[in-house]
Amino acid sequence: MRSLWNRSTSIMSNSRLFVQQVLALLAKDLQTEWRTREMFISMFVFTILVVVVFNFAIGADPEAIRRLAPGVLWVALLFATVLGLQRAAQMESEEDCLQGVLLALGDRSALFIAKTAANMLYLTVVVVCALPLFSILFRIEMVAGIGALGVALLLGMLGLSTVGTLFAMLTVNTRTREVMLPLLFLPVSVPLTIAAVYATTDIIAGKGLADITDYLTLMGVFDLVFLVVAVLVFDYVVEE
Amino acid sequence: MQMPRGRYQGWYLVYATATYVSMALALWCVFVYVPTEKVQGIVQRIFYFHVSAALTMFLAFFVVCIASMMYLWKQTLWWDSMALGAAEIGVVFCTMVLITGPIWARPIWGVWWTWDPTLTLTLVLWLMYVAYLMLRADMSDAKRTRMAAILGIVGFVDVPLIRWSVEKWRTLHPKPVIVQEGGSTGLPPSMMLTFIISLTACVFLCFFLIRERVVLAQSRHALDGLRDEIENALGG
Repeated sequence: MRSLWNRSTSIMSNSRLFVQQVLALLAKDLQTEWRTREMFISMFVFTILVVVVFNFAIGADPEAIRRLAPGVLWVALLFATVLGLQRAAQMESEEDCLQGVLLALGDRSALFIAKTAANMLYLTVVVVCALPLFSILFRIEMVAGIGALGVALLLGMLGLSTVGTLFAMLTVNTRTREVMLPLLFLPVSVPLTIAAVYATTDIIAGKGLADITDYLTLMGVFDLVFLVVAVLVFDYVVEE
Repeated sequence: MQMPRGRYQGWYLVYATATYVSMALALWCVFVYVPTEKVQGIVQRIFYFHVSAALTMFLAFFVVCIASMMYLWKQTLWWDSMALGAAEIGVVFCTMVLITGPIWARPIWGVWWTWDPTLTLTLVLWLMYVAYLMLRADMSDAKRTRMAAILGIVGFVDVPLIRWSVEKWRTLHPKPVIVQEGGSTGLPPSMMLTFIISLTACVFLCFFLIRERVVLAQSRHALDGLRDEIENALGG
């Protein structure tokens, strides 16, 4: 009984340590970002650029623009994720920062959780800033379905951040990581992209949360599966 | 230093003979034995190798996943060579599926390609495992095997999710005709027999090639070791 008590208290103190480490790592990343604003600016400008360029690619037909808008939004987010994560991974590999961080950690998945959370936050800020512009440029009324859209965006961005962070840490040692990250990341996130685009299309067409549970479930399962798999294999990714 | 054993004896002969005989038999069945299908005509004969190659491809990618897990667990080079071999052969079979499919689809559906779930899944798998091979080619030796193993596992975990997501599209691909609901087959016996022989031939070919690839990888590793030894001897 006593040993069980000891064990449960040690698990509790371990998990508190884990949360502390995640928060410390997250604070470190956010502080760096706050000082440079490098990642946010590049991701945001890039998202806007994709939206504008696709406007030219689609042509002048307002109906076509409206129909393709959800796809454009998610393509922009996919590439913004690649862009942000590449920069984040590069910053860690400079001056062996990663080694320093790993030496300080007991459980290395804390690093993964923190990196995923940081990327998720950057994406959220980008989306909050870009969505009004997107709505204006594509002439889409979004206020009515903003709740459902928020849920779809959160699930989608969580999946993008999870898979993206795993692959960014995986490709950080390759010679051509600028090419390797999208090559691995885009095919694996196909299920998420499909579900997200279809869910967004339905929301814009005026459907509620109850009508898109299929897509939301798919995104939720995708997020969960990759969170679990990524935490399980992350030790091997950063092992020296 | 032991002399290497003869290359063409033992298990090699068994595998090679089984592959050769089953492949020859499958070709004879497909081109001579099996009757031409009434509705689709001669082009239907591509079905036997198309579906066999598709199933063999899934088998190969499954082997990649298992070998990757075993590599992370046991950390022996043999499992890594196995994963590499299975991925390469899987991509070859996947390419075969993607080539035979349109040849059949053009006269039957009237188009070379459609974004049907099964076609999309195969194409995404092809892209994913080509990326896997590119990742392997791109990294230095120390990390390559471990990163590849992780990707081998993550990639295969993704397969059911891709399947699920592409199912959302309207399907055009023929429903499975080999085993239907209630366990009855939709194929007449002669076609079923031809299909089973083709499938066996493809699976034999797949394992024969994977085994050859593993042997090659081991030889290359042994050669690297010998080269290092010589360099050390000369340098010292």
